[in-house]
Amino acid sequence: MAEERARGPWGEAWSVFGRNYAALVGLGLLALVAAMVLVGPLVYGVDPFEIVGAPKMGPGIEPDAPFGTDYLGRDVLAGLLKGGRPTLIVGICAALITTIIGITIGSLGGFYGGAVDGALGRVTEFFQVLPALLFAMVLITLFTPSLLTVTLAIGVVAWTGMARLTRAEFLRIKQLEFVRAARSIGASNARIIWRVILPNALPPIIVSATLATGTAILFEAGLSFLGLSDPNVMSWGMMIGSNRNYLREAWWAVTFPGVCIFITVLAISLVGDGLNDAFNPKLRTR
Amino acid sequence: MTRRLSIRAALAASAAVLACFASGVFAQAQNTLVWGTSQAPRHLNPAVQSGIATMMPGAQIFASPLRFDDKWNPQPYLAESWSFQDDGLSLLLKLVPNATFHDGRPVTSEDVAFSIMTIKANHPFSSMLAAVDRVDTPDPRIAVIRMKQPHPAILYALSPPLCPILPKHVYGDGIDPKNHPKNNAPVGSGPYKFVEFKPGEHIILEKNPNFFIKGRPHFDRVIFRIFKDSNALLLALERREVHYVPFWSDLASLDALAKKPGLLITDKGGEAIGPINWLAFNTKRKPFDDARVRQAVSFAVDREFITRKLHAGRTKVATGPIAPGSPFYTGAVETYKVNLERANKLLDDAGLRKGANAMRFAAAVDFLPGNNEQQKNVAEYLKAQLKKIGVDLTVRSSPDFPTWAKRVGGHDFDMTMDSVFNWGDPVIGVHRTYLSSNIRQGVIWSNTQSYSNPKVDDLLARAGVERNLDKRKALYGEFQKIVVAEAPIAFINLLPYYQVYDKSLKNLPTTIWGAAAPIDEMRRE
Repeated sequence: MAEERARGPWGEAWSVFGRNYAALVGLGLLALVAAMVLVGPLVYGVDPFEIVGAPKMGPGIEPDAPFGTDYLGRDVLAGLLKGGRPTLIVGICAALITTIIGITIGSLGGFYGGAVDGALGRVTEFFQVLPALLFAMVLITLFTPSLLTVTLAIGVVAWTGMARLTRAEFLRIKQLEFVRAARSIGASNARIIWRVILPNALPPIIVSATLATGTAILFEAGLSFLGLSDPNVMSWGMMIGSNRNYLREAWWAVTFPGVCIFITVLAISLVGDGLNDAFNPKLRTR
Repeated sequence: MTRRLSIRAALAASAAVLACFASGVFAQAQNTLVWGTSQAPRHLNPAVQSGIATMMPGAQIFASPLRFDDKWNPQPYLAESWSFQDDGLSLLLKLVPNATFHDGRPVTSEDVAFSIMTIKANHPFSSMLAAVDRVDTPDPRIAVIRMKQPHPAILYALSPPLCPILPKHVYGDGIDPKNHPKNNAPVGSGPYKFVEFKPGEHIILEKNPNFFIKGRPHFDRVIFRIFKDSNALLLALERREVHYVPFWSDLASLDALAKKPGLLITDKGGEAIGPINWLAFNTKRKPFDDARVRQAVSFAVDREFITRKLHAGRTKVATGPIAPGSPFYTGAVETYKVNLERANKLLDDAGLRKGANAMRFAAAVDFLPGNNEQQKNVAEYLKAQLKKIGVDLTVRSSPDFPTWAKRVGGHDFDMTMDSVFNWGDPVIGVHRTYLSSNIRQGVIWSNTQSYSNPKVDDLLARAGVERNLDKRKALYGEFQKIVVAEAPIAFINLLPYYQVYDKSLKNLPTTIWGAAAPIDEMRRE
């Protein structure tokens, strides 16, 4: 017992997580995807943009292209291996942007309250009522579609949930006694926000950020499906988007990247749910 | 109970109303032709607007002085005869006696004169009637077109898609013809008359019972249904809600369509439109100011792969600035058969050595958004292919047409894929791309390549006024040789235009203007 207490709240969360089989499966899948994305291109050195054979060849027909070729004759397997990296980078970076904007706006609003909260609340609501996908499309259309603009666009449209979550946590935590204690010994507002309240608000934010990564990956795929992706960067979403017109003749060029996205997002969701359970004390006895 | 009954009755009634409406508007009746298109016209007056979207309905509503057969020979239409006079400086048109506009007023030489001067002043193809000085009308049935210089292209300029004869008593009221309210409810003298136009949805025309060619046309109604999405058009065609789709260029669905029972496909007709899919260079930008670099890129492009593999054998290789259907076409030019060795050598000679990463230089390629198979896919192919000769190519996509047009029209590009049309005579659709006098900032489909060669300017100037057909062919032959050799443009392929139709339809428009000409002979059997 004493040992367990010594591990602190983070260690305790980890032990709960470790008992959650779904979360462990998710973690395993995620490790698999990461290995495929990081090591795959080194092992399988085909350039995903190179035309290796006739277009629209099915999987297994040509040994050079075991997963078939797309509408230009590019190797689908090379695209899968090389295309995972940009997909994950977009997902992670967009989730980071979401988190940074969300934490900033939510913490300021929740901490100061009053007019500041009112103003920031209106800004949040303004973004919330805009249809996210349409807004992202407008942003990407305004600037040229590229990996950077797609990432920024997703980050900019998807932060409102994070802001509201952070604000709610701040409203709750700032009433607690240790915050008052910090204030009474003369800690500055900045110190209270960053060093006192934020660390205690982190668990739900981490869960939310994890799930936001999955959402961002889906978002990128959705935008690519509508043709808004960078044609110079091979990503899973871009593969789906540019091959979907040929779905009836070459299903494999859409299906395989689709399966990759499915597995990745599923893994992230499982991990996110596991973290949620682990950080939520009320669920621990489950 | 009664309430449920009344709801049911209301549902039944509304269903009946809907059914009536549907059958009324898109009737499957024997004598209605439903014409499907994915090209939405802004208005219906081809006198002030180019493009197939306006030309297709325009050619049914308006008649023109001349029309063409399928062998590039002019044929009588509103003009029963015509002759050149004064060493080609005048063209005399004698109108048919019985032509009337849809409002009952006769078609006179006044209308012809008004129409030609309106087109000259407002149509985007400025070279088409630039040589015309005035039109004299000595008699209500005689119009004499006076020209400043001989202008053999005038015969094409008088044909259906380019020269609608407008009623002067309707359009001559002083309102700007480009924004005339009657452009959305046109009055013409063609085989079908206007009933209704809902922009983006449909155009309804009905038979002109007083058409001046007796016994034509054969449909009571022609309905143009406008589809935003080519898949929806495909489904409507399969269900026979649409009977006829000309200018079909979506290759992916063509094989599927060919297998459908009762549908036929032809690539006949429309040769005068001459649509060429090409890669244009900005010859003012380094390193494309060096002809050897442009030639190297052209030698690296495997046109056989593009036409046979990417386009599944449904397109043909383009060899030069004039489409092969034209009487002025010559195949005696450099063919740029794929040759990577030669391409590499040309780049070496141009002083562009391979760097550390096996690349010589970086460049970007733009493409016209909308038709992926012809534009985006070829641009992506170029990215893969040019890597082999050490060109690090970035594909720069434009979200919409205006963005692309602004970049290319503003000369802000390295290379761009583009589709440009011949429009009958070279004077109308070919000269504009190569004349140094047509290097204009901000104008799309001008000489955006900034290509300038005094020899070419001189050849085109002489060919434009040459009345002897053989001499004219020789001048254009030399022009094609020079332009292909200097390669301001790498010609890739001809756009595929197919007519897809229900097998009960006969006498499809297979003249050089295809469905941009009247379908007065088309019928159902």
